[in-house]
Amino acid sequence: MENVIEVRNLVHYFGKKSVLKGLHFEVEKGETFGFLGPSGSGKTTTIKILTSQLIGSKGEIRIFGQPQADLKRIGILTDNSGLYDRLTVYDNLVLFCDLYGTDRARISDVLDEVNLAAEGKTVVKKLSKGMKQRVTLARAILHKPDLLFLDEPTSALDPVNRTRIHTILRRLNAEGTTIFLTTHDMQEAEELCHRVAFLNAGEIKAMNSPQALRLHYSDESISLHLKENKTVVVERNEAGAAQIQDYIANGELLAIHSNEPTLGDIFMQLTGRDLV
Amino acid sequence: MNGSMKRVGAIFVKDWKDLKRNSYVLFTVFMPVVFAAILGRMGVENPGMHMFPVNMALVMCAAFVQASMIAEEKEKNTLRGLMLSPASTLDIFIGKSVLTGAVTIVVIILSIWLSEVQLTGIAPLSIAILLSLIAYISIGTIIGLLSRNVMETGIVGMPVLVVFLGSSFIMQIVENEFIKKVLSYLPNEQLSSMAVQLHGGAAFGEVASHLAVIAVWAVASIALTVVMYKKSAADK
Repeated sequence: MENVIEVRNLVHYFGKKSVLKGLHFEVEKGETFGFLGPSGSGKTTTIKILTSQLIGSKGEIRIFGQPQADLKRIGILTDNSGLYDRLTVYDNLVLFCDLYGTDRARISDVLDEVNLAAEGKTVVKKLSKGMKQRVTLARAILHKPDLLFLDEPTSALDPVNRTRIHTILRRLNAEGTTIFLTTHDMQEAEELCHRVAFLNAGEIKAMNSPQALRLHYSDESISLHLKENKTVVVERNEAGAAQIQDYIANGELLAIHSNEPTLGDIFMQLTGRDLV
Repeated sequence: MNGSMKRVGAIFVKDWKDLKRNSYVLFTVFMPVVFAAILGRMGVENPGMHMFPVNMALVMCAAFVQASMIAEEKEKNTLRGLMLSPASTLDIFIGKSVLTGAVTIVVIILSIWLSEVQLTGIAPLSIAILLSLIAYISIGTIIGLLSRNVMETGIVGMPVLVVFLGSSFIMQIVENEFIKKVLSYLPNEQLSSMAVQLHGGAAFGEVASHLAVIAVWAVASIALTVVMYKKSAADK
């Protein structure tokens, strides 16, 4: 599989403070890759380096095999991406169509995609925060980028708008867009990402698919939900299997659940700190 | 239209649509015109004052309008959006400057007309005003890049306002010859001196040194603007 992003031993300092300590990872074409970590862990710094807003102190990065990102092939959405608030939604998108050399006919398609077809003539400052975020997403995908960088795309959004953005991102990914997502929202990462990396204090502590991480850090126990609202935890071994058989034979067993940790639990286990 | 021209045009059109709804900028543009009308009612006898409405239009429109437009782009995180698009430094700089330049030229023409000053030597004065326009737009861009928001342009730009508009008054109250000499090389002083000389019947060749000084201001301020812009394009 082709790597869209390759990062080798990336180090960055702000003054004397080391904020990235030798990051090493790849993102494959068509993948949604989650970069998870609490505030100050280095997520935004990494995205800034990958999008040429910042020059890393040491190490090597490759975007589509090149040391610098081709701006025509990438789209960027951050929680503070600015819009021209005195202009209409349509005029904001016209500007970026012309800057990217994209046909203006694409604007109506993109507004449809982000469920804002009726708001084209609305002045941006009259939109809600969720709507503005969707306009920013529309702007980021206007030129059909191969790679989309999303820095906390749903932070401070209500659940309805959050779900809307997730639906759009899943569709984009299904259509072939590679997505690099930074978030401290574990649920968002579980829902969207094929693989995640846990970043803490500038270091990657673990990297794999959410499912593989949960299995790896599972405590090998199983919860049995029994009649009369009882719950019993058994080990995943022969003795546990015998217990389960007994509960089934007695007609007491209602449900079986494997006790896998959440991504948040794993992060806590690895770093000793919460993700928020 | 090639890609670069299209991008410059896109930024120009965006700024024009935005300017029409920007009350702060419209007010700033309006001030030199009002001042010129007042000056016209008072009557301007001193040839040294003939260029004052023009200098005011240059400082208020070219420098301050440009500064506020750049600072607002920074404040609202829209400048980063432009920088992360395929638009080059030159596309962005020209796109943002063309509108400021056009508005300033209209305000200068209105100011000259309303102040009722009789200018002599229109050709050399026009060249000097155009070179000054480039210098002031660049200085405005620098003020905008140094300011974190529109409010701050007033603080960062205040020394520019005081020095570039009030240098003639400062030269009358200071006795230090070195300071006077330095102030005399400011573009507004060069423009005023040139207007006085042309009013007195000087030929083009006699005012060429003033044009050269203003041209140096234009080139130096453009160079500084490019350096500042590139510094702000990439975070530290």
